[in-house]
Amino acid sequence: MIVRGMRHLVRAWRGGELGLLGFSLALAVAIVSGIAGFSDRLSRGMEQQSHHFLAADRVLKTSRTVPDVWLSTAKDFGLRTAKLASFQSMVYAGDDAMQLASIKAVSDDYPLLGNVGVSVELFGAADMRSSGPKSGELWMDSRLYALLDLSVGGEAAVGEKSFVATQALISEPDQGNMNEMLAPRGMINFADLAATGVVQPGSLVRYRYLFAGTEEQLARFEQWLEPQLEEGQRWQDVRDGQPAMAATLKRAEGFLLLAASLGVALAGAAIALAARRYGERNTDNVAIMKALGASRRQVLSHYITQLTLLCAAAILVGGTAGYGLQWALFASLKEFISVDIPVASWRPLIVGAVTAFACTAVFAMPPVFALSKVSPLRVLRRSDEDSSAGLLASALIGVGGLGLLMWWYSDDVFMSAAVLLATLATGILASALVLFAISFARRSFLERAAGALRIALAAIYRRRVGNAFQVASFALSLMVLSSLGLLRTSLLEDWQLQLPADAPNHFLINIQSSEIAALASFFKQNALNDAGLFPMVRGRLTHIDGQKVSDIKDIEANSGGINRELNLSWAKDLPDDNSLVSGSWWPDLAPSNFAGGDIVPVSVELELAEKLHLKLGSALSFNIGGQELEAQVSSIRRLDWSSMRPNFYFMFPPQSLEVYAGSYITSFYLPADKKALLSDLLRQFPTLTLIEIDGVILQMKAVVSQVSTAIGLVLVLIVVCALLVGVANVLASLDSRLHENAILRTLGASKKLIIRGLLLEFAAVGLLSGLIAAVGSNIALSVLQYWVLDMDVTLHASVFVFAPVIGVLTMCSLAWLLCRQLVTQPPLVVLRQTR
Amino acid sequence: MIRVNNLCKTVVTGGQQLDILKGISFEIKAGESVAIVGASGAGKSTLLGLLAGLDNASSGDIYLHGENISVMDEDQRAALRARHVGFVFQSFQLLPGMTALENVMLPLELAGRPDPVGEAKQYLDKVGLAERGGHYPRVLSGGEQQRVALARAFAVEPDILFADEPTGNLDEHTGQRIVDLLFALNSQSQTTLVLVTHEMNLAERCDRILVMHDGQLREESVVSSAI
Repeated sequence: MIVRGMRHLVRAWRGGELGLLGFSLALAVAIVSGIAGFSDRLSRGMEQQSHHFLAADRVLKTSRTVPDVWLSTAKDFGLRTAKLASFQSMVYAGDDAMQLASIKAVSDDYPLLGNVGVSVELFGAADMRSSGPKSGELWMDSRLYALLDLSVGGEAAVGEKSFVATQALISEPDQGNMNEMLAPRGMINFADLAATGVVQPGSLVRYRYLFAGTEEQLARFEQWLEPQLEEGQRWQDVRDGQPAMAATLKRAEGFLLLAASLGVALAGAAIALAARRYGERNTDNVAIMKALGASRRQVLSHYITQLTLLCAAAILVGGTAGYGLQWALFASLKEFISVDIPVASWRPLIVGAVTAFACTAVFAMPPVFALSKVSPLRVLRRSDEDSSAGLLASALIGVGGLGLLMWWYSDDVFMSAAVLLATLATGILASALVLFAISFARRSFLERAAGALRIALAAIYRRRVGNAFQVASFALSLMVLSSLGLLRTSLLEDWQLQLPADAPNHFLINIQSSEIAALASFFKQNALNDAGLFPMVRGRLTHIDGQKVSDIKDIEANSGGINRELNLSWAKDLPDDNSLVSGSWWPDLAPSNFAGGDIVPVSVELELAEKLHLKLGSALSFNIGGQELEAQVSSIRRLDWSSMRPNFYFMFPPQSLEVYAGSYITSFYLPADKKALLSDLLRQFPTLTLIEIDGVILQMKAVVSQVSTAIGLVLVLIVVCALLVGVANVLASLDSRLHENAILRTLGASKKLIIRGLLLEFAAVGLLSGLIAAVGSNIALSVLQYWVLDMDVTLHASVFVFAPVIGVLTMCSLAWLLCRQLVTQPPLVVLRQTR
Repeated sequence: MIRVNNLCKTVVTGGQQLDILKGISFEIKAGESVAIVGASGAGKSTLLGLLAGLDNASSGDIYLHGENISVMDEDQRAALRARHVGFVFQSFQLLPGMTALENVMLPLELAGRPDPVGEAKQYLDKVGLAERGGHYPRVLSGGEQQRVALARAFAVEPDILFADEPTGNLDEHTGQRIVDLLFALNSQSQTTLVLVTHEMNLAERCDRILVMHDGQLREESVVSSAI
C-alpha cells in the first residue's frame, strides 16, 4: 500500500499539484523547527551565560560550612563544584596603611562558569581568566590599591598571611550582589584561608557552594539536597539572584515563543491556501476516478496516503532545512553571540513533525474530505460547485488546531488565546470588510468603470469569497510582521530606556550628612551627574502581623534574602521610577513627626509584598540597630529593578527614621575613560564605600544586544512565512485567472489592459490587507504589551502608513512575478489545458 | 444487460422544478450497441449519467448487469462500475498529472488487477500508442488522447461501455479513425455499447438508435434491419 501510495505521490508531484502544498509544509517544518531550535538553543545558551552571573548553574548559600558528603554526592551526580567564603577583614600594606575589605576566598575550580577579569593596571582593561588567584596571590579591587596606596606587584596582608598583590581585580562573574560589594574586594585562594587566621568560630563568614552540570543532574541533586537544607541555607538559580536579568530573559523568551507561534499561524495560512488549491485542482480527477469505479473510501484513502507521505517527506526535507537554518543562523551570528551554544536537541524536529501532521490534519484534510464528496457526474456535466462550501468549518478547524499548536509551543494559554483571538478578529473583520467593500465597489463603480478598472472590479467580485480569504490571510501575515516589528522596537526601546548609555554604573554608600556638600562639589568639578541622594538605614524585618518572620514557613521557602539586614529609606515624594500599585503615598497619611512607639506607614515593593503575602494594613516590626519600629503597610509600589538607581524594598515617610543613625546612598555614571577619578574620590572621601557595577551593566548590555540580534533574525523568518502566504494567495486564483484571461485575450484584450487589471486587483487586496493589519496589530500589541510582556501600552500610528504600502507593493510584485504567464502563454494553449 | 423502467429525473433550478427525464423505459441486451441521439437539452447526457450510476434518478428503476442500481448508494454503484463499466468521454477526461500509461493503469489498479502495467501496455499497443506511454496528455493530440481514453475504457474488459460524444472534440478525419477503433475494440471484446451522440452517421453504426426528445424516448429504430 505504501509503495502504491509512493507511486501515486510521485505521479501527483510530477503533475505539479502537490508542489505548493509540499513546499508550504516543508517550509512550515523548516521554520518551526528552525525557530524552535534557534530560540531553544539561544535561550539555553543565554541562560547558561546568565548563569555566569552566578559563576555556576546553581549556588548554595549558607552561613556555615556544609558536610563534605554534600559535595561528594554532588560529584557522584556528575556535577562540578567549587566553594568560596566571603567575609570582611582588614587588608594591610606597608607600615601603616590598612583598609576594610570584602575578602573572597575561592577554590581552584572557581568560577565554574564565566571568567574573572584582571589587569596589571589599576582600572585597566580586563584580561579574562578562567580561574582565581593561586595560593599566595592576592587580587584586589583597583580602589583598594588606591586606598592602600599600593601598586600591582606589592605586598599586602590579610590577617596573619602575607600575599603578593599580583593583579587588579576588574570583574567577577558573580559580582552582581550589591551587599557583597560594600567594601572593596580582595580575592585569595581558598587554600590560604586557614593561614590568614581571620576565620574563627563565631566569625561572620558567608559560604557559597557552586554547582554546574546538566539540568537533569542538577534536578536530581536538588531533589536529594532539598530535604536536608536548614534555615539560613538557600539554593539559588539565576532567576532568584538577578531579578533584572530574569526580567530581560523572560521578555526575550516570551518574544521568541510568540514569534514561533505566529510563524506557525502564517505557515498554517499558506498550507490552508495551498491545500485549497490542491483540492480544487483535484476535483476533476476525483470525478474521473469515481466514474472509473473508485469508491469514496478509495478516494479518501488515496488522498490521505498521498498527504501522509507528503507530510513525511516535508518533515524530512523541512527538518533538515530547519537544522541547516539553525546552523546558518548561529554561524552568521558567531561574531555577535558570545555564549556557547548548546548542541541541537531532537525537540525542534519533533515540534516540526507534530506541526506538519497537525497542519496537514487541520488545514489540508478538510479540502480532501470535500474532494471525496465530488459527484462523478462532473465528468459529463461540469458544474460550478460552490468552492466556499465548508469554508467556515475548515477555517474553524484550522483556527482551533492552530490554537492548540500555539498553546503547545508556548505553554502559555493566555498568550495563545490572545494571539488566536487577534487572528480570529482579524479574519472575521477582514472577511466582512472585504465582502462589504466589494459589494459597495460593484454597486458604485462597476457600471461607470472602464478598461482595466472594470476588469479588476469584475475579477474581484467574481472571486469575492476567495478574495475575502486572501485578504484575511494576507492581513494576518502583515499584522504578524508589523506586530513583531513594532514589538521588537518597543522591547529594544524599553530595554534601552532601562539601560541608557549614561545609566548609573557606580554606587556610593555610607555618605554622611557632613559630606554631602563636598561630594556635590566633587561631582560638579568633574562634570558627573548623580541619581539623587537617598537616605538609608540598615534594619531587619522581624515580625509580620505579630508572627516572627523566621517562623512563617511558606515565606522562608520563597522570600529570598529577607532574613538579613535590609536597606530602609525614606522620601517625601514617590521616586521617579516607582509607581503605586495600591494604597496612598504620604503626606496625606503621615503626621509631620513621629513619636517613639507610633506606628509609621511603610510602602512595600510589589514582588516582595506578594512573596511575604503582605496587604495594605499588614503590621510589620523592624529591628533597627537594636531598637524596635512598628509599621503598617500603607502602599505597595512597583519598581524597576533594571534602572540601576538606588531602589528599596521598604520606604518610610520623612521624620520616621531620622532618629536612627543612617547614611546616604547615590548612584552615578562614570565613563570608562574617567575611571582614574575613582582614586581621587576615594582619597578625598576615604570613609565612602564605592560599588562598581559597570561590569554588570556591560554584561546586561551584551545580553540585550544578543537578544536584539536574535529577534531581528526571527523577524526575517517571519517575513519568509508572510511571503509564502502571499505566494499561496496569488497561486490560489492562478488557474481560474489563466482561463479567464485567455478568453479575454481571444476577445481582443491587450496584454497591457490585462496586466493593469491584475495589478489593480492585487493592489486592492494589498491595501485592504494593510489597513486591516494596522488595526489588528495595534489591538494585538496593546493586549500583548499589557498582559503578556508586562510593558506599557503604546499605540502606533505609523503602521497605518507602512502596512498598506508594504501590502500593495508585496501583492503587486508577487502578482507580477507569478502571473506573467497570464499574458505570456498563448491563449489557445491555456484554453486547451484548462478546458 | 440494461433494463430501465419508468425513469424520471427532476431538478429544481431557480426555485422551479424542471423535468429532464419523463418516465423512460427500455432494455439493452448483452453485446448490443445502442446509440442515444437527440437535440441539445433533450436529456441524453442525463440518461447516460443515470445508466452509468453517476447520478440518482428521481424515480424509476435501472437494472445494470442484473442489479438494481437505483437502490444502491454511491459506493456500491462505484464498485459496480469498477467491475462492469467502461467510459469514453467527449473531453477525454485523462488525468493531466499522469502519463498515458498511468492513465490506462488507473482503472486496472482500482479494480485490483494483479498486473496493471502489463495490461495497460497491452491496450496502449492495441490503440497504436505503445511508444507514447510515457507522455503526458498535454503533449498528445486530441486524437491520441481519445485513443488513450479508449485503451483505458477497454483495459478492464468491461461488460458495458458508455461513450459520451466520443468524437465531439475531434476533427472529422480523426473522429472517423476513433470511431473505427471504438467499434473494432467493441467487436473484439463483445462489450455492450451505449453511445450518446448527435451525429447520425455515427449512431447508424450501432445496432439500435434511441431518439430522445424533451425528456422522453420518442422513437426507437433498429439500424441493421433498416440497412
